[in-house]
Amino acid sequence: MLPIVSITLFLPVLGALLVMALRRAPATVVHGIGILTSTLVLLGTLWMWARGIEPGTFSQVEQIDWMPTLGASYRVGIDGISLPLVLLTAVLFLLTFIFSAKVKERPHAYVVLMLLLETAAIGTFTALDALLFYVFFEVSLVSMYFMIAGWGHEDRQRAALMFFLYTLLGSLPLLLAILGLYLGSDQPTFDMRAWIANPPLSGSAAMLALIAMLFTFAVKTPVFPLHTWLPAAHVQAPAAGSVLLAGVMLKFGAYGLIRFALQMTPDAFREIGMVVLVFGVFSALYGAFAALAQSDLKRMVAYTSVNHMGYIVAGVAIAALATDPAIRAVALDGSVLQMVSHGLVTGALFFLVGMLDDRAHTREMDRFGGLMKFVPFLGWSFILAAFASLGLPGLAHFPAEFQIFLATLREAPAALIVILGIAITAGLYLRAIGKVFFGEARTEWAGMPDLNRREVLTLAPLLLLIIVIGIAPAWLLGMIHQTTTSLQF
Amino acid sequence: MSQMTQDLSRLYPEIVVLITAAGALVFEMLRMPRAALAWALAGLALATGLTLPLLGMNVDVFGGTLRIDTLSLWAKLILLPATMLSLLLARAELAGSDREGTVYSLLCFVTFGALILAGSGDTMFLVLGVLLSSLGSLALVAYPRNDAATEAAMKFFVFASVTGGVMIFGLTYWFGATGSTLLSSLGRLEAFPLAAAIGLVAVMTGLGYKAALAPFHFWAPDAYVGAPISIAGYLSVVPKIAAIFALAQVMRDLSPSTGWALIIAGLAALSMVWGYLAALAQENVIRLLAYSSIAQAGYFLLGIVAIGVSPLALPSLVMFAAAYAAMNLGAFAIVQRTGFSLESFAGMGRATPIRGAAMTLFLLSLVGIPPLAGFAGKFLLFGAAMDAGFTWLALLAIVNSVLALAAYLRIIVPMYKPPAAHNKSFFHLDASPHLITLVWSVSVIVTLGLGIAGQWVLSAIQ
Repeated sequence: MLPIVSITLFLPVLGALLVMALRRAPATVVHGIGILTSTLVLLGTLWMWARGIEPGTFSQVEQIDWMPTLGASYRVGIDGISLPLVLLTAVLFLLTFIFSAKVKERPHAYVVLMLLLETAAIGTFTALDALLFYVFFEVSLVSMYFMIAGWGHEDRQRAALMFFLYTLLGSLPLLLAILGLYLGSDQPTFDMRAWIANPPLSGSAAMLALIAMLFTFAVKTPVFPLHTWLPAAHVQAPAAGSVLLAGVMLKFGAYGLIRFALQMTPDAFREIGMVVLVFGVFSALYGAFAALAQSDLKRMVAYTSVNHMGYIVAGVAIAALATDPAIRAVALDGSVLQMVSHGLVTGALFFLVGMLDDRAHTREMDRFGGLMKFVPFLGWSFILAAFASLGLPGLAHFPAEFQIFLATLREAPAALIVILGIAITAGLYLRAIGKVFFGEARTEWAGMPDLNRREVLTLAPLLLLIIVIGIAPAWLLGMIHQTTTSLQF
Repeated sequence: MSQMTQDLSRLYPEIVVLITAAGALVFEMLRMPRAALAWALAGLALATGLTLPLLGMNVDVFGGTLRIDTLSLWAKLILLPATMLSLLLARAELAGSDREGTVYSLLCFVTFGALILAGSGDTMFLVLGVLLSSLGSLALVAYPRNDAATEAAMKFFVFASVTGGVMIFGLTYWFGATGSTLLSSLGRLEAFPLAAAIGLVAVMTGLGYKAALAPFHFWAPDAYVGAPISIAGYLSVVPKIAAIFALAQVMRDLSPSTGWALIIAGLAALSMVWGYLAALAQENVIRLLAYSSIAQAGYFLLGIVAIGVSPLALPSLVMFAAAYAAMNLGAFAIVQRTGFSLESFAGMGRATPIRGAAMTLFLLSLVGIPPLAGFAGKFLLFGAAMDAGFTWLALLAIVNSVLALAAYLRIIVPMYKPPAAHNKSFFHLDASPHLITLVWSVSVIVTLGLGIAGQWVLSAIQ
């Protein structure tokens, strides 16, 4: 059978090599290669989807020996938790390449870095070997560092430096935890499937490994108080960088929380599930309040990410605490769906803020007013995405958050205070929409052009998916549910 | 075959290196420096080739005074090619200078001393190896005969003689207690805790100086800056790895009751942290890399604390040594081409993207970012330390990687800024750019190859 996971995984590397080989090619050709490669990647992931997954195990596993003396192999495969994220990654990268076709500054390096990031992202979600996972996890940092440092806004050097140091510090404890799990397993192996089937550590060793992993994934997700790198990185990153950072890279944290922390040290997680829940709830509320205090649109969207990712952390904690498998499945279904929804919705919002920034060279809410008169398509797109972000029924976040809250109600009703976050986000988005798109029209923006073809191509698929998932989430939930009901721990 | 002939046949690589060194000197006397270079390269390549059939051997020769084992064989496989790369760098930097051929000869002599050191099974061979490699290194540092080089060599000399003296003095206690100079008799020291401790301090001093471990590192930054850049790169790799391997040879035979593992762990912590903290304050890239090499020496010690306890200890030392040799020589080669002040790196990554990418690769590998060689080595080192019960040391080493990244980003960040106005030319240091490019290209291949296909080394060690 064709190793479609590996082909999809390494297609971007091939594209990157091609771009490097064509050093004299004009920008259009380079961007064309980027778009073509990511289209092929999307087709590859759709093929994976068509092949389907089996419940209770990893499907389409491809494996070759890498360092047999250590028990490390190249192992990739998918299940109902990773496949939706792989699909999300492929969609977001394709749209980001379309959006970035305007980049004229060093296009070769830009496309190469994006393609490397795409391989790193798909690799992180499909790796079934802990060492391989770590490799992809770290490579993504390097690519993102250079994207922020090379194509960001005014204060990009400092922000990129902070991002790199902070997230490297964040990811290193994971290495310790992986080593701990490796040294603890009976057979020396880095096979994640073996670790999931038979958690190698127990007692205080498992607790230490869990704490190390929680630290790593809390930085990445991010969870209060380890979120401080996020606003800085987002504000300085180019719009495409922000989309990928929020849409894809934050998911590494949430995905790792399930794949590593929950599945490999389940008992320890159950023990401190309450603590994680409190952090998740607090983080969600904190993110909402902090977003409320922002006047810069990009910063505001960045903080709403903290809010939305907080729901995911809370959902995973509920899944750890739940003794009833049905509740656990509901909580995890909601959490995984929330990752996809957040990727789509926040991706759309960052694109839109980037488009506004391209036109006005400012992101200060107070500088705008009445834009709906000049840029109605941009305005309505923003309103749709914002409504999705605040959890309006019928749009992508609703089915996800609903399930998380449902499980919370059954398991830890006090934590439902987190719903307050929805009210706050509703308030802040309405305020932003009112300030930017309604009210008195300012003449200085009178000539602002509405969405061009490239931008419509970028946004339309996202908005469509947001509506589809909102109205009919079953096709996605079914895939997720197949795996979450059969998890054993 | 008599024992003597058999022993000698196992030392062919060492013998070839010695003949190579002497032969290079003869060519210099005939005023044929290019022939000296070619001879040296050929001789070292031959010695590398002669090592290959010995792989897997684990025997003592000459009554246990020299060891043919994993460490000493891999020392040859790593240090001989590293010396060949250094010869090319030296040629690029010093071609046409007075007494050029002596540099090639001295490099071979120092490497000979390093090989003795890495394979020593006897305290007197430790002393011999340290002295052999120190004497040649001194002459190499002083080679430019200007004020900076002379001062550097002077500091180096004072350090070498004091630490050498301390080492010999302390080793007499071990000899007195055990009645033998063989390392294999160190087990008898258990009855003499005081003598064991004094000897231990002495060995740490002598080898710590050679490996530029904190707190015996003070000579290194000055010596590297005063010496030609190619020599600095060589000194940061070959004698250092040899001293680390020698330390491993000693600790293999020392009983755990002497508490050596804790002392080594303390030195490791000090070197790692101090090296990178100091590197953060440097404006000269050579000094920055000098402090970085002090920190890297600390990382090596994570493998030594696990000697005799964890099966990962030997693979981790060998893997990291190979990785370190490739990435550090590569970084020095690019400094040799680009210039030694941080300003000369401004815009380099934009003007010459491939060279910039290579430098970034070396520096990220030095941090330990996967999937590069430095990560493979450090990962094994962390695993070895944890396996030996030194989780706190592994944790410190891991957290310290952030300091490492901060230090190396001081070079990477300016590389991708627009070039400074006063710094138009990037080609002011290139006597023969092709040689330098060849060296860093080889280093890139090894740095990538070891990271991705490290299994080759691992299975060869088993």
